[in-house]
Amino acid sequence: MAIRTLARLTPPKPKAGDTFKLQVVAQHPMEPGTRKDEKGNLIPAHYIDSVEVYFEGQKVASILPEPGVSANPLFGLAFQAGQPGTFTIKLRDNKGDSGEASVKLELA
Amino acid sequence: MDRRGFLKAGMLTGALLASKLAPAVAQGGGLEGEDVAHLEPALQKALGKSFKDLTPSPAVKLNMPTIAESGANVPFEIEVNLPKDQVKAIHLFVDKNPSPHIVKVELGQAVPYYASRTRMAETSAVRAVVETQDGKLLMASASTRVTVGGCG
Repeated sequence: MAIRTLARLTPPKPKAGDTFKLQVVAQHPMEPGTRKDEKGNLIPAHYIDSVEVYFEGQKVASILPEPGVSANPLFGLAFQAGQPGTFTIKLRDNKGDSGEASVKLELA
Repeated sequence: MDRRGFLKAGMLTGALLASKLAPAVAQGGGLEGEDVAHLEPALQKALGKSFKDLTPSPAVKLNMPTIAESGANVPFEIEVNLPKDQVKAIHLFVDKNPSPHIVKVELGQAVPYYASRTRMAETSAVRAVVETQDGKLLMASASTRVTVGGCG
């Protein structure tokens, strides 16, 4: 099942040379593997372990979360605005599910 | 006890207290919920370095709440006051979590900044560790008090 992923920029239209934030939110339970169900059995770990950020097809940053990240995680990065283009974010979890989102960078 | 004896005894206890406090301060400022012994294996695994190789640095800023309402969702923000070509990666560690390493961020073109949310099992010290291009490890610590744990 695909992971629902959203991405947005703040501010939405930065000026050239300005720093702006890229925020990615994914809908995911992020089971840390330490929680127990009603019967006392451990719930197996199920978490996003790789987030890759591409800008115009080129990898610009990657995040490697461990089980300690919260459910429905937010990933916030900052970039400096250069040329307009498209950010593509690719997520993958430890069970092989993946998610993708993209957001366009337009300059003011 | 006369006055002189009392003073002597006082100085002695003072000296004893100071010698007991010194190691705690040397290990990073005596933060609430510190657990370096538990953190050590995670540091070894993630960075191949031990706690004493980390240098506390004012260039790294870690913004955490002092008290978190829920341990399942504690926001944090790491800012690094260095040029972006000097910073290689950012890590976050929570001393008392079952697995203390939370995240590794590899910055390619990104400005050295990271914001996310973490789980915290209990009141603990939190460390932001920044890897620089020349191999230095810079650290910022903070302590967050947790009312409801988020790991179990």
